[in-house]
Amino acid sequence: MKALINLVEKVKPHFEKGGRFEKLHRTFEAFETFLYVKGDVTRSGTHIRDAIDMKRTMVHVIIALIPPLLFGIWNVGFQHFQATGEEATFMDQVVFGLIKVLPIIIVSYVSGLAVEFIFASTRNHEVNEGFLVSGMLIPLVIPVTTPLWMVAVATIFAVIIGKEVFGGTGMNILNPALLARAFLFFAYPSYLSGEVWIYTGLEDGQQLVDGFSGATALAVMAIGEGTMPSDFDMFFGFIPGSIGETSTFAILLGAIVLVATGVGSFRIMASVFLGGLFMGLMLNLLAVNEFMALPAYKHLIMGGFAFGAVYMATDPVSASQTGIGKYIYGAMIGILTVLIRVLNPAYPEGMMLAILFMNVFSPLIDYYVVEAQSKKRQKRIEKIRLQTQA
Amino acid sequence: MEDLFSIFVRAIFIDNMVFAYFLGMCSYLAVSRTVTTSVGLGAAVIFVLGFTVPVNYLLENFILSRGALSWLGPQFAAVDLSFLTFIMFIAIIAAMVQLVEMLIEKLSPTLYSSLGIFLPLIAVNCAILGGSLFMQERNYANITEAISFGLGSGAGFFLAIVGIAAIREKIRYSNVPAPLRGLGITYIITGLMGIAFMSFMGIEL
Repeated sequence: MKALINLVEKVKPHFEKGGRFEKLHRTFEAFETFLYVKGDVTRSGTHIRDAIDMKRTMVHVIIALIPPLLFGIWNVGFQHFQATGEEATFMDQVVFGLIKVLPIIIVSYVSGLAVEFIFASTRNHEVNEGFLVSGMLIPLVIPVTTPLWMVAVATIFAVIIGKEVFGGTGMNILNPALLARAFLFFAYPSYLSGEVWIYTGLEDGQQLVDGFSGATALAVMAIGEGTMPSDFDMFFGFIPGSIGETSTFAILLGAIVLVATGVGSFRIMASVFLGGLFMGLMLNLLAVNEFMALPAYKHLIMGGFAFGAVYMATDPVSASQTGIGKYIYGAMIGILTVLIRVLNPAYPEGMMLAILFMNVFSPLIDYYVVEAQSKKRQKRIEKIRLQTQA
Repeated sequence: MEDLFSIFVRAIFIDNMVFAYFLGMCSYLAVSRTVTTSVGLGAAVIFVLGFTVPVNYLLENFILSRGALSWLGPQFAAVDLSFLTFIMFIAIIAAMVQLVEMLIEKLSPTLYSSLGIFLPLIAVNCAILGGSLFMQERNYANITEAISFGLGSGAGFFLAIVGIAAIREKIRYSNVPAPLRGLGITYIITGLMGIAFMSFMGIEL
């Protein structure tokens, strides 16, 4: 450890003003703060410094993302070998998954961070750590078959248009990872819908097993053919789907980490689930078609519902900031998700668009919550004033 | 009743004036600086659309379109006044806007001054004329449908302008790159909001 500090201190002068690599100052600073909390001391005024800065917060989210990531890697292999009908050991499945998933993660990080570093040096602000999470979320919400160049294009689009034009991390109005997915969804629809969720690149002598269906549970419901997986499979995630979204169980493990560390908002998570459950039950009452009659709890374990509720809706930047606002925001996401799933034949999955929609309106919710609060207090003050005068 | 509700919801979310047709952009971009003024303008648009669409519906069906005058007598069955459509629609709209302007000036002078020139300019707002023309194109069956379409379109515009105003208030202190400040970033936000509104496209009610 000491040696590392010494090394950092030794190369530091080259990156300071007037040094050889002055242009790369921001890049150096990013790596320096990544390794250590800086020893800066405030000389004037009163400041409270906390070791939990943005970098550490983001690392908590990364830790929470590990369960769905590991499960997703295994599931990619599992689904592939099930589709081809080959016998495979656990290790085979994991290795196959790693070969398919790792390049996506690397491409997402490299392209996104490249944009971040370029913006940071030209605009002379600190490198934003927010992308550490976005760069991990993007691979988890897309199907494993997405070509790598598309991952790069979507990531660059999301980082520039979704975040950097607003001034960087903490200023964006939409969740960058979801924006990347929405970009892919609308720009290359054939890659993100239908039966592309499993990697079935077949080699010589391989063929698909008879009766095998690659459709997700939501596509099965929307099209009305194919078989629904069992509740057990859907909860633990032995189903086709985007890399990280299939296992509700793994996601709940991550949710525990988020709530325990105080990084993710419990209010939002709970209200998304309750909102979805409520809307599912309401539609059950109508039950005009098969999709409406689907038991409400199944909505919560199908598709990206849990993943969106735990990792996407709780994004502290694009979500509502106020306490009551968080309940409204979360409940609306749950309600809209189920509504879009059931009513909109164009999109079998409503989670992404419901969250984007509520991201857009969360400033409005906050505005009116704050207004209502200040009015309430105004009234209370008036009342006290009248009492004291009397 | 169900029909009326579905027309209303369609007009707000699916065929949103701003995000589906990009109509009414001028006042949408110009008056969306603060939430309070945009609420005022949005309400004015709801009011104007809620009146002009049904009034224009009556005009269209009983005076302007081909054979509409036949209620006067059989000799008018061949009269076709549809070449007057635009000018008549605009006249109704201008009269309505004048009324709204007088009302707002009387009821809320602060709102009147903060809306400024954009209040009379509602008269030439394409969302308003668009509402009447969509009504003509879609052949609503009766006047209640026209009313619910008018109110729905107005509510859609209201939602759009209030939503972007809240976002613009939120990003007021953001470090937006200098060339994009003001209108540039507003256009980008509008595009992103359009993506969010895409969630409703394709719903059949």
